[in-house]
Formats: sequence, structure tokens, C-alpha cells
Amino acid sequence: MNDASVIGRGTVVRGNVRGNGNLEILGRVEGDVNVGGEIVLGDEAAVKGNISGASVTVAGAVQGDVRASDAVLLERGARVVGDLTAPRIGVSTGALVRGLVRTDGEPPLAGGRRPAGGMARAPAAFSPRAAAPVRAEPAGDPSDGSGEAAEKPREKAPPPPVVPALAKGAKAKKKKKGD
Amino acid sequence: MAGTVIGEGLNIEGDLTSEEEVVVQGNLRGKLTTTDAVSVGSSAVVEADVQAQSLTIAGQVTGDVTAAERVDLQAGGRLIGDVKASRLTIADGASFKGNVDMDV
Repeated sequence: MNDASVIGRGTVVRGNVRGNGNLEILGRVEGDVNVGGEIVLGDEAAVKGNISGASVTVAGAVQGDVRASDAVLLERGARVVGDLTAPRIGVSTGALVRGLVRTDGEPPLAGGRRPAGGMARAPAAFSPRAAAPVRAEPAGDPSDGSGEAAEKPREKAPPPPVVPALAKGAKAKKKKKGD
Repeated sequence: MAGTVIGEGLNIEGDLTSEEEVVVQGNLRGKLTTTDAVSVGSSAVVEADVQAQSLTIAGQVTGDVTAAERVDLQAGGRLIGDVKASRLTIADGASFKGNVDMDV
């Protein structure tokens, strides 16, 4: 009992929670949770802030990023609005996630897929954030690595209207009645 | 089993509000309010104003303390701050510095 910490159902913490050992959250926390051990969020728990621990199991609601050095598990009924980062991530059916889900610790996908990478290197220098949208793309177009930046805005614009090409001075043909 | 347990090695900086029993073995800095009992374990360090139904102190508390029922300062416990409660016990071996208001 010494090591196990519990934030009970009827408890609200406004502030940050840090430390070692395991933590079970059944109530509400408005602040960051940063614990060395295992974190379990019960189904009525609500955390508004970032969570990080060795492993994080969520059955409740989180508004913030969830990061674990081992695993993040979202159980049925979990609602997470924020990014998930861990070497292992599990999402059950019935869990809701809105955010970037990333299994950390693997080689980055963007580097492996584009070997030459004269173009890819420049945005990568900004931050890992710049690499994120690239990763989210469907795995396509390895051929035109350089034309990618120019290609992208065009994808969003609506396609040009289709106008039938007419020769200059062409007259509209009158349909015959018999046809 | 208590409703809320702040285990040894856990640090909370901020306000903790509860409707159930709170056991502190770790560190708490800010404010602690509950409608039930509070127990401050021997390893605990609490730097907060505490408001509770009843309060048992075996660790360190720095802050003003208000209990609807009673405050028990046990041997080895250390309290620096004012106490407002209708009942108060201070065990032999406890340290205490502050005012007492027994609400007569």
C-alpha cells in the first residue's frame, strides 16, 4: 500500500502530479501527470493535461498527450483527445482517439522510404513535427520525391473544369431531325 | 481502503479537493480539502492548508489546519500552523508550533 497511489472517485486534483511508483486515477486531475511507474485511469477518470509514465492504461477521458516508455493501452470506452506516443500502443474497439498516434522507438518511416532525400532533408531539419504529416500520407509516390512540395497544393484545389475542346471557328452542328 | 492515497514518492503540487478519505504518505504542496477524514502518514510532507472532517498527523504538516471534528497530532508528528478544531490531542513526542482555536 505504500507504493500504490490512488486518486479516488470523489477527488479532484488541480495541479501537477509527479513521482515514483504506480498511480491509479479514478477521479479528476487538471494538470500534468508524470509518474515513473504504471498509470491506470478508471472508466470514470478524467485528466486534462499531459500524462507520462512507464505504462499508461486508459479507460476514461484524457484531454492531452499520453506518453509512455513502455506501452499505452486504450481500453473500451476510453476517450483521448491528444497524441499517443509509446513503443507499444494498443487501442481496443470502442476506444476513441483524436490525435497523432506514434509508436516511438522504431526507425522513422520518412527516412526509410525516401532514400535520396535531397528534398526530404530540408523539412526534417525543422522538427519532428514537420515529419509528422509526411508519415500520415498514404504510402505512395516514391518516384517524385522532389516534386512533392509543388504537388501538394494542387491536390487540394478542385480539378479544372472540363471544357470540350473546339477547333477555332467550328460551328455547332445541327442535329438532323431523323437522328 | 481509503478513497484517495498519495503514496510515498508521489508529489502533488496544487489543490486537492475530495469527498472521501485522503491518506497522504508522499508530498503535497498547495491545498487539501475534503469532507471526510485526512491522515498524514509518518513519511508524508504536507505544505498546505488542510480542511477536513478529522485530521490525524504522524508526519510533517506546514500550514493552517481546520477540522470540523478533531485533530490528532501523534508522536513523531510535526505541525507548524494554526489549528481550528473543537477537539485536539497532542501526543507526547509530537512537535507543534501555532495557535489553537477550539471554537468555544
